[in-house]
Amino acid sequence: MLICTSALTLLPFVFVLNSALRDNFEYNRTFFGAPESLTGLARVGWRYVTADARPLSIRTESGEVLAATRERAAAHYWAKLTAGSRRAWVVLRPYVLNSFVVSGLTALGVAALGSGTAYLLARYRFLGRNFIFGFILATMVFPGVLTLVPSFLLVKQLGLLNTYWAMVLPYVAGGQVFAIFVFRSFFSGLPEELFESARLDGAGHWGLYWNIVLPLSKPVFSVVIIMNILGTWNNFLWPFIVNTDDRHQVVASGLYTMARSGVALSSSTMYSAYVLSSIPLLLMFVYATKPFIRGMTSGAVKL
Amino acid sequence: MKPPDLSPSRLRFAASCHALLLPSVLLLLTFIYLPVVWAFLKSLYEFEVGSPARFVGFANYLEYLVNDPPTWPSVFNMFLLTAVGVFVRLSFPLIVAKLIHSLPYERTRYLYRIAFLVPIVVPGVAVQLLWSRMIYADYGLLNEFLRVVGMDGWTHSWLNDPQTALVALMCFGFPFAGGFEVLIYYAGLSAIPESVNEAAALEGCTGVSKFLRIDVPLVLSQLKLILVLTVIGGIQGFEGILVLTQGGPGFETMVPGLWMYYNAFSFQRMGYACAIGVLLFVAILGLTLLNLRYFRSAEEVQGGAT
Repeated sequence: MLICTSALTLLPFVFVLNSALRDNFEYNRTFFGAPESLTGLARVGWRYVTADARPLSIRTESGEVLAATRERAAAHYWAKLTAGSRRAWVVLRPYVLNSFVVSGLTALGVAALGSGTAYLLARYRFLGRNFIFGFILATMVFPGVLTLVPSFLLVKQLGLLNTYWAMVLPYVAGGQVFAIFVFRSFFSGLPEELFESARLDGAGHWGLYWNIVLPLSKPVFSVVIIMNILGTWNNFLWPFIVNTDDRHQVVASGLYTMARSGVALSSSTMYSAYVLSSIPLLLMFVYATKPFIRGMTSGAVKL
Repeated sequence: MKPPDLSPSRLRFAASCHALLLPSVLLLLTFIYLPVVWAFLKSLYEFEVGSPARFVGFANYLEYLVNDPPTWPSVFNMFLLTAVGVFVRLSFPLIVAKLIHSLPYERTRYLYRIAFLVPIVVPGVAVQLLWSRMIYADYGLLNEFLRVVGMDGWTHSWLNDPQTALVALMCFGFPFAGGFEVLIYYAGLSAIPESVNEAAALEGCTGVSKFLRIDVPLVLSQLKLILVLTVIGGIQGFEGILVLTQGGPGFETMVPGLWMYYNAFSFQRMGYACAIGVLLFVAILGLTLLNLRYFRSAEEVQGGAT
């Protein structure tokens, strides 16, 4: 049962990969079937393995069939294999760079601002502390659907349309709330003795934060940052609304624009774009799964 | 309660703390609280971006609730989609999490957890485009599969046929197990103390009956979290519908959020869109309070029984 469910979950992605490697001709002929580029490369590889130097027949773009040497055939199939991703990358590259800037700045802002604010709220008693915490948490009541249109009007009024700030500032403003909530509950749980002994050793406020709190809260940081990047990377509606031109379009909104433009006529380009757009998060995932799952399930983060 | 300490040194300390909190607070004031206030204010006006606004009182609300033809069908669609969403998000991922949890080896459990988490690296909009272009398309996965198994008569233009568009939206994401829910339920199942499991085994409570009587009640707080999130997402979410069907064919798959989006960004009726937003906010607030109250009492009942 598990095998079936996981297969069903992952199957569409297998088909995406498959379709990304096949050209439009193959895609339109039959939906199922292995990419010709891969079977071709396998055939060439087999010729090398068996040291068979006879020419292979290949079909060129214009449809004519001709005999080719092994080198020529390998180059042909390799070009065929990467054609989709090369075309997709030309369109996608600026979007990816924009996404890096937006998600990076947002994550940085949320981690710095969120942990700093949460530290103050968790470990210092001062007049108005609970009021401020309530003021911050109260924003969770307001759903995105309420603020979507007025936020657009605000960003337009501020003259921020078609800038990075139109995305980064609202993302940090909204994203810090969850971060503050998570950080605060973690920081409050740290034993007071740690802070006492550090103070006796002469650590100041900043020293406590930098030398005591930060090293202890790495798992929490990784959870907050990963959740934040996932959210901003995948958000497509807001970037789509506040970017009326193409210069600061991010991956998610760029994909949507792509799918509605002429690029979408080429299936391999579009499918390759889906694959390429998933690679950055996949990399993050590969490197951060362990701390993330540990952070999520060890009880460091209380939801 | 003792009165707050108002000595000058305490006040100075509080002031410096507040100064450090200022960036957070200012961002929230500008980008959350101001738009919230605007939403209510501007819903009383009729205006396009850049042209003067005309005060119309509650006419926007009245028009939406009484005179706008798409309103009630779209509300119905929203409730239907939310109800289905709640059902699938509370059942499928929980069953998957339970199955993974009962595997004997930590190594395979870990692999399955990863396998079900991997789909979240694909941008949501890419998944939606995939479903519309690859799975539901005329020559897509679903139709091709039906042709291969010889059920040609069953092929449909799934998203363009008024008969199937809404059902197709409900089935979007099948088998509904790729994502955070599995991980959240898994964490809940892992937190069940071993003594409870042993006691259940001693009493001969295993399999499905253990799942229903022991596991489900003990992951109630996780179920509640997902329930609240799904209901909120169901009322305000419309990106998926925008990508998959644009609310069509006709108004078959329209939802209020999408109607708000069209009014703001296609018809340039900003005040009207704000009014729809406010009404959706009220709906979300009401349902969330209801959720919390109902579930709190359910937990109390459970607490009283043990």
